[in-house]
Amino acid sequence: MAESICRALRDGALQGEHAPALTIKDSIASPFGFHVFTHLLTQLSSNILAAKSQSRGLVLVALSRSPSFYLDLLNRIGIDVASSQKWIEILDCYTDPLGWKDALLASGNGGSLSNEASTGASLCRNVKDMDKLYSSIIELGKGIVEQGKVRFCVAIDSVNEILRHASISSVAGLLSNLRSNDRVSSIFWLSHSDLHEDRVTAVLEYMSSMVASIEPLNQSANGHRCNWESLPLLERNYWKGKFHVRFKRRNGRVRVMSEEFHVEQSAINFRSISSEDEIVNRSLLPKVQFNLQLSEKEQIDWAKELVNPFKFMMFGDHLRMARVKQNLFLLEYCRQMRTLARAR
Amino acid sequence: MATSKPRTSSFSRNLATVTSSTPGLKYGPNGTIFISSGIPDLDKILGGGFPLGSLVMVMEDAEAPHHMLLLRNFMSQGLVHKQPLLYASPSKDPKGFLGTLPTPGSSKDDKSRDRDPENENGLRIAWQYKKYFSDNQHHFDSNRDVKHEYCHDFDLRKPLEKHFISGQHIDCVSILDSPNLAALRDHCATFLAQFPRNASSISSAGRIAIQSFCAPQCTYSNMEWDMLSFIRSLRSMVRSSNAVAVVTFPPSLLSPSFSRRWQHMADTLLSVRAIPDEDKEMAKLLTGYQDMVGLLNVHKVARINTQVPVILDTTTFSIKLQKRRFLVLESLNQAPIDSSSGTSYGTSASCSGSSKTGTLDF
Repeated sequence: MAESICRALRDGALQGEHAPALTIKDSIASPFGFHVFTHLLTQLSSNILAAKSQSRGLVLVALSRSPSFYLDLLNRIGIDVASSQKWIEILDCYTDPLGWKDALLASGNGGSLSNEASTGASLCRNVKDMDKLYSSIIELGKGIVEQGKVRFCVAIDSVNEILRHASISSVAGLLSNLRSNDRVSSIFWLSHSDLHEDRVTAVLEYMSSMVASIEPLNQSANGHRCNWESLPLLERNYWKGKFHVRFKRRNGRVRVMSEEFHVEQSAINFRSISSEDEIVNRSLLPKVQFNLQLSEKEQIDWAKELVNPFKFMMFGDHLRMARVKQNLFLLEYCRQMRTLARAR
Repeated sequence: MATSKPRTSSFSRNLATVTSSTPGLKYGPNGTIFISSGIPDLDKILGGGFPLGSLVMVMEDAEAPHHMLLLRNFMSQGLVHKQPLLYASPSKDPKGFLGTLPTPGSSKDDKSRDRDPENENGLRIAWQYKKYFSDNQHHFDSNRDVKHEYCHDFDLRKPLEKHFISGQHIDCVSILDSPNLAALRDHCATFLAQFPRNASSISSAGRIAIQSFCAPQCTYSNMEWDMLSFIRSLRSMVRSSNAVAVVTFPPSLLSPSFSRRWQHMADTLLSVRAIPDEDKEMAKLLTGYQDMVGLLNVHKVARINTQVPVILDTTTFSIKLQKRRFLVLESLNQAPIDSSSGTSYGTSASCSGSSKTGTLDF
């Protein structure tokens, strides 16, 4: 739920704890991760300006969009960027991430390269160096907030861009260092899950305390099912999707929440899953037919509960084992019947 | 029902009632010596504790920090028994973790969990026989002094007293910046050299605790074969010494084939899993869902010097914090089915402890 995420990012970290970290994960089937990212960015910015959040400033690491894009975005929303009290710093890793423009200028070839007017953003020329990146982020953050215990937030535009230049273990080191720095209040980043291997996504989820995934509304089994009549419906449904969040709570449990979102004209709206959909979900429960003939896999699964390699040694126990198995089947049957009865 | 005996009396010899001179060790069958894991329930499940010379691996869940609970209890138990400890973790300052170790709770209170059958007067129902055959209960000495108990109940809310930590053989290593694992391997080798296994009586046992071994922020975490060969060498070093090594790792960060290989390396394999919060389905299905913190699965139990495997009644246990302080493992009990139609069946996975079992039980 977007509200809960905003609240979690706003509340920040307790003393002695790692900062809460959010991964926004999307895929090509529903590529609205950036909309969610900007939505959270604007929400957090308004919270910071209204002094409702633990942090007093925000450091934005801009990798996939230019800093001027962000400044325009914030101005359009109505958030005062150039206010008297400096609250936002943008680390510009978009303009010249590998220092090529500098090298060109130095070698005298690109003499008339126009330099982008500095929009109050600091330029980062070497995205490959994680230590340098870390120290620049922390310096910028400390520049916003005064000395002392005041904290700031960090937003990373797209982790995928950094992963093009650095290994996943160094990026994981950067993220964990940021989380454990006691000046950082909360941190969130965007990742497109189909740009990398599964392991990279797993590592990013491991490093974060909240995982928000964006999924299409109806995931068709075969993606090539193109029914000409349903094209308008497909197109309408493209702009909607499901927003799943997994919170890792302090008590060690995982809170799973779901919402629907709808993107219209570059603004994203969230609403809770309507009740009709919920009943639809119930009917997607597995078939309840009581199956006496279990398949091989099912037999193996049931047998896992009863580990008994020395069957030949257990004489009277054949009957007991059969009774146990029968009771397990009946138990599962009753359980399924119960859920069906409840759904009625 | 009444004819089948509990399995322990058929297949294993009675545990020797020899109380060893060193309080932290327990002699078990087949010449194995156990040290406590720090969690009384886990010791019971594993048949006495962790046997010396074994490698224990705990598979973490990326979504829950329950492996830290197991590690904390393990390390505290070692410190209370004055067993030297080597702790390695991917944080910059591993010593800080020592401040979060729990202290032994007072053994006088909270013994209500020991169901003492002698005090049970009135009708004893035969089908609840499993409750009355808890063999490990009677082996605890009448001497309830904190220092001499084999396994303590740790109070997770209070930190360990300073005198246990200072002046001890505690070695903390950070594995964050090591480019390869040679330094850690040497560290382990020198540590384990203090406890060689030979015919003479053992003086003390050692404990190694390695946390989140393949954590992604470590520089060596891409080198899968190197990590595997480290585990293999650790296992062989531990096997020939009087020590136990506990290694926790998140299997989701390894490729599936390596995850399998690591699991095969373990002598005792446990895994912890997170449970969903405020899940109405689960709350209806299981009793005690409100107190549950997570799930513990026992995949493998170490059996050294014997070919008889440990066959557990159930392999899934719920991790609960009793009174929010003491770590308790319980087998899962299904909540009674409240629909009036049909008979209700109690869980067949365990016959113990459920207050409202069904009409059919065995």
